[in-house]
Amino acid sequence: MTIDQDTLRHLSEASVSIELETQDMTLNIGPQHPSTHGVLRLVARVDGERVHDVQPVIGYMHRGYEKLSEVRTYPQITALINRIDWVSGYANEIPFIVAAEKLMELEVPERAQYIRLILTEMARISSHLVFMASYPLELGAATPLFFALRERELVLDLLESVTGGRFHPNFNRVGGVKPAYGSGSSTRKLIQDLPAGFLDSTRTAVIRVREAVDQIEDLVAGNEIILARTKGIGVLPPEVAAAYGVSGPNLRASGVRFDLRKVEHYLPYDRFDFEVPVGANGDCWDRWWVRLTEIRQSVRIIEQAIDSIPSGPIQAKVPKVIKIPKGETYVRAENPKGEMGYYVVSDGGSVPYRLKIRSASFSNISILPWILEGVLIPDIIAIMGSLDFVLGDVDR
Amino acid sequence: MTSSPSETEQVAHPLQAFADEVAAAVGGEAEITFDTVKVSVPPDKWVSAHETARDQLDLVFFSWLSAVDWSTEVAVGDPLGEEVEERIEMLTTVGDLTEGKRVTFTTDLPTKNPSISTLVDVYAGANWHEREAMEMFGIEFVGHPYPVTLYLPDGFEGHPLRKSYPLLSREVKPWPGTVDVEAMPEGPSTENPEA
Repeated sequence: MTIDQDTLRHLSEASVSIELETQDMTLNIGPQHPSTHGVLRLVARVDGERVHDVQPVIGYMHRGYEKLSEVRTYPQITALINRIDWVSGYANEIPFIVAAEKLMELEVPERAQYIRLILTEMARISSHLVFMASYPLELGAATPLFFALRERELVLDLLESVTGGRFHPNFNRVGGVKPAYGSGSSTRKLIQDLPAGFLDSTRTAVIRVREAVDQIEDLVAGNEIILARTKGIGVLPPEVAAAYGVSGPNLRASGVRFDLRKVEHYLPYDRFDFEVPVGANGDCWDRWWVRLTEIRQSVRIIEQAIDSIPSGPIQAKVPKVIKIPKGETYVRAENPKGEMGYYVVSDGGSVPYRLKIRSASFSNISILPWILEGVLIPDIIAIMGSLDFVLGDVDR
Repeated sequence: MTSSPSETEQVAHPLQAFADEVAAAVGGEAEITFDTVKVSVPPDKWVSAHETARDQLDLVFFSWLSAVDWSTEVAVGDPLGEEVEERIEMLTTVGDLTEGKRVTFTTDLPTKNPSISTLVDVYAGANWHEREAMEMFGIEFVGHPYPVTLYLPDGFEGHPLRKSYPLLSREVKPWPGTVDVEAMPEGPSTENPEA
């Protein structure tokens, strides 16, 4: 018996057109998952390896800083806000303290501004180095971690020598920066300046950071597995990023040359020569590359700032009790994670009437339902890691 | 010269022209408060003002949305120094991605059962911010696609960022209130001694 071609085609089409009764599976990722940088839960609806949609569940780390700030004086709040994004604790303080100074119409001494700028860039280097360490690790490459964390330790040691804290410096005061303790002496007396030898040690350290960045680039950029897992994965178009409020390196990776250090004047960045790197495709690879390149730019800024730091006082004269005159303002700054800002409403007292904390990671991960739609399960990890968020910065 | 001395002293704020432009485009009132351009609009123009900002003024970046509970009765913290009109003040900040321009939009809602249209269709990023404002202030966002709590657990009662909401730690140990310390002997001064 022979079957003609038409019948055969008909039969084969009939066999594949039978639809099996399938059901999407709901997959819980987190809250305790190594790739979530804290406690983030994703409720993913998956069809095999394909993700239909994702609903992030946050709030496991919500500490209510906005409410707590309503019963704390301005100097007390700087201690709290260090803990928002603990990977770059120092950088969190800057927009808040600048907002308080703006409301007081206070002129901050130049040297204090330079110290703030140097330390902010060191915080950026240390934050980006954590990303350089953790991101390849999430993709299965452990070695870059050792290169990145080794140099980060240098930076943290220097931060500690000035501020007394590795993660939570609590170093800014309204009108300037905290007097430091003299290093290397047995008496540890309070000095109204940077510790001796700090600027020279910093210069040496950033040269080593630059070398480490080159090593990391050699190590990661030539790795075919990492390239395959990041190139063309998690593409974020600039207009979507803007509508969701995605900022910082994630926005620049999508090709938007926008850096608050260039447009807002919260620290004297306009005196230094540095570039704003942008990505071409907005994929995971570009987000990695933008951060790598930003470390090099931060090193450039620090070197220039060390060369030109003026001498003088580090603290403006302020009353014993800081009372902020009535008024409201929004001050934002380019944090390692993106736009960090504080909307301060003061009624003239020593505590803010309302403090709205705009943190970068909150908006950066609100993109997750959009960007994870239709990806493969392993790509969830690659995409989430590339957004470089910290749950303390999401939940506040 | 016809201008009086008081007029010549009045130097326009560098942001004044931009503030006026925004206010005229959205039909609101502009105010510059410490280098922050604040434009207040009536609640019924809330969505259209943001559409205008996005489409005509190129303010495509959604920064944040939140609210302030203006109230003379406070459960915790210091009461306001003066009487205010009780209201919930909505705030959003949007910006551009070229020159660093930004506008803070504001509108007033009643303290009791505040309700306003959602901005999710204008700026997708408003989604989470509105969920946060919803649970923290008890504001209803009409048309929100997923109006469930963001941070707080299911079944949580109250709206923590309302001024009437007590803070548990201050129930245990009361807030001392504003503690006034005597000023420095030479009197408070913000002058830099070496400037």
